[in-house]
Amino acid sequence: MNNPEPENFGAHSRRTFFKSLGTVAATAATAQVRSVAAELEKANAESVIGPGAVPVTLKVNGEKLKLTLEPRVTLLDALRNYSSLTGAKEGCDRATCGACTVLLGDTPVYACQKLAIEAQGYEITTVEGLAKKGNLTKVQQAFLQKDALMCGYCTPGFLMSVTALLRKNPKPTADDVKHACAGNICRCGTHPRILQAALSAAGVATASKTEVVNYV
Amino acid sequence: MKAFQYATAHSTDSARELVAGNGLYLAGGNDLFGLLKEYLVGADLLVNIKSLPGLNKVEHGKTFWTIGSLVTVAEIEDHAEIKKVFPGLHDAAAEIASQQIRNVATVGGNLAQHSRCWYFRHRDTQCLKKHGDLCYARDGENRYHSLFTGNSCISPVVSSLATTFAALDATAIVLRDGQETRMSMAELYHGAWENPLAHNSLDKGDLILRVEIPTTRTRSAYLQVSDKHAFDWALVSCAAAAAVVDGKLKSPRVALGSISPVPHQVEAANSFLDGKVLDDATATQAADLILKDAKPLEHNAYKVPMAHAIIRRTLLKLKGDA
Ligand SMILES: Cc1cc2nc3c(=O)[nH]c(=O)nc-3n(C[C@H](O)[C@H](O)[C@H](O)COP(=O)(O)OP(=O)(O)OC[C@H]3O[C@@H](n4cnc5c(N)ncnc54)[C@H](O)[C@@H]3O)c2cc1C
Ligand code: SF4
Ligand code: FES
Ligand code: FES
Repeated sequence: MNNPEPENFGAHSRRTFFKSLGTVAATAATAQVRSVAAELEKANAESVIGPGAVPVTLKVNGEKLKLTLEPRVTLLDALRNYSSLTGAKEGCDRATCGACTVLLGDTPVYACQKLAIEAQGYEITTVEGLAKKGNLTKVQQAFLQKDALMCGYCTPGFLMSVTALLRKNPKPTADDVKHACAGNICRCGTHPRILQAALSAAGVATASKTEVVNYV
Repeated sequence: MKAFQYATAHSTDSARELVAGNGLYLAGGNDLFGLLKEYLVGADLLVNIKSLPGLNKVEHGKTFWTIGSLVTVAEIEDHAEIKKVFPGLHDAAAEIASQQIRNVATVGGNLAQHSRCWYFRHRDTQCLKKHGDLCYARDGENRYHSLFTGNSCISPVVSSLATTFAALDATAIVLRDGQETRMSMAELYHGAWENPLAHNSLDKGDLILRVEIPTTRTRSAYLQVSDKHAFDWALVSCAAAAAVVDGKLKSPRVALGSISPVPHQVEAANSFLDGKVLDDATATQAADLILKDAKPLEHNAYKVPMAHAIIRRTLLKLKGDA
């Protein structure tokens, strides 16, 4: 079956092409930026919009991003291809791997299975937004200390899942960590180290060696 | 995904109006975007129903609880009262997919999710369910398929909530042509029992509003077996619910998922269990009755002993410390 989406942009990479389409990262200070509230009201009014590109305002890592997107653009594509936020990774694009995990408020979701237009009005956090002023969070430090990554492709997703878990449940058990991270898959098999890192970031005495090794 | 228009509906009336052309309802999007990305369904317009008022609430009365169709699976899992009153529902919700999916997946979308048959999900395969003239699974790879069916398609219902709601004798309230229609879980999926093209009994434009669960069955349990330990659909799932009076089961119901296009329920087994004290022997006899007419295929015969085992285990779990 034909794939109706254009893939080939000649000299442009997909990402630079998308970015040249008029993406503007606006700071709150920019004059004449309509308020997010007004944008939201417009986006959520009961009117039919698209299929052509429409203005979409996302609040990512505390900064407003004013984008022009077709309604079909996923939040993941908006971050990676229409902004410079490539921290959230695309693994499956089908809600089955967790590499694209971002937070909406405090809630981890798959950015590949959500439209950018639906994410307006939320405080979106990607892995880029975790460290403040270059200081890694406890969870990030624990991942480093426990050597919880190999290729690192799954790491941003796991960091978001563990960060969300510890906000909701600061003293999780090993089972809580496994339950919270079941939707993140690491093809390099670093799961036991990730479990150790999550528990150590929470200050929970590391589970027995067998419990950690028997990660399923 | 092909390009589509997009609208947020603020009332059920406008949702129905908007969807009337070539539109589809968008709830959590977990299933819908999978279908759209594989070009398995097409839509000119996605109608986001997540802002519909009043549908995101869990309410309890004396005789029944109401769960709105926009309540998320995570909200069910995290609801302390649901865990006490309907432990089977809690356990079913907690095992659905992953945290990220449960956070956005809605009750309505979970019930209305489409077949997981891998021939249906393959964009190049034109099987019966997609207006083709052949079921590829029947003589093909059918290890995840049904033991029961009323038509030529053997794709099973996979909604874990449907299995549990069936055991709890819950009713879905569906807005159809402007009228509220009440459907048991058997009725909600009967369409898929009869018609290979259907995934359930919903007509185009039908909107699931809420689910009502009677409180008569004070005990409930849910178990599933999957290939993977977590983040996987069930190979077989089982839910059971009953009241226990003087140690005896009252109004027991057992339902199984992933073995039939409908939540599999056998009235003979329910009435056999009624008034019985649960023990290994009664659980075994009930399981025999439930699976009596199973028609295994080349690769799914393992589901028969697996289902037998989890029916027994679910029933014994129901017994708890009675
Ligand atoms: C790896 C994996 C494992 C999974 N395991 C399980 C499992 O074990 N058990 C299980 O039950 N599910 C499982 N799922 C499926 C998941 O739970 C469903 O995709 C999800 O619940 C769908 O809900 P949604 O709100 O995202 O629906 P959407 O994708 O938004 O909608 C699904 C369908 O329902 C329609 N719809 C939505 N709301 C309504 C409504 N109110 N009235 C009428 N129609 C409506 C939509 O138009 C669409 O056709 C799994 C998914 C994945 C990826
Ligand atoms: S089981 Fe149903 S969905 Fe699967 S190939 Fe057969 S007809 Fe198609
Ligand atoms: S890319 Fe989103 S879950 Fe895999
Ligand atoms: S570290 Fe390579 S995928 Fe997880």
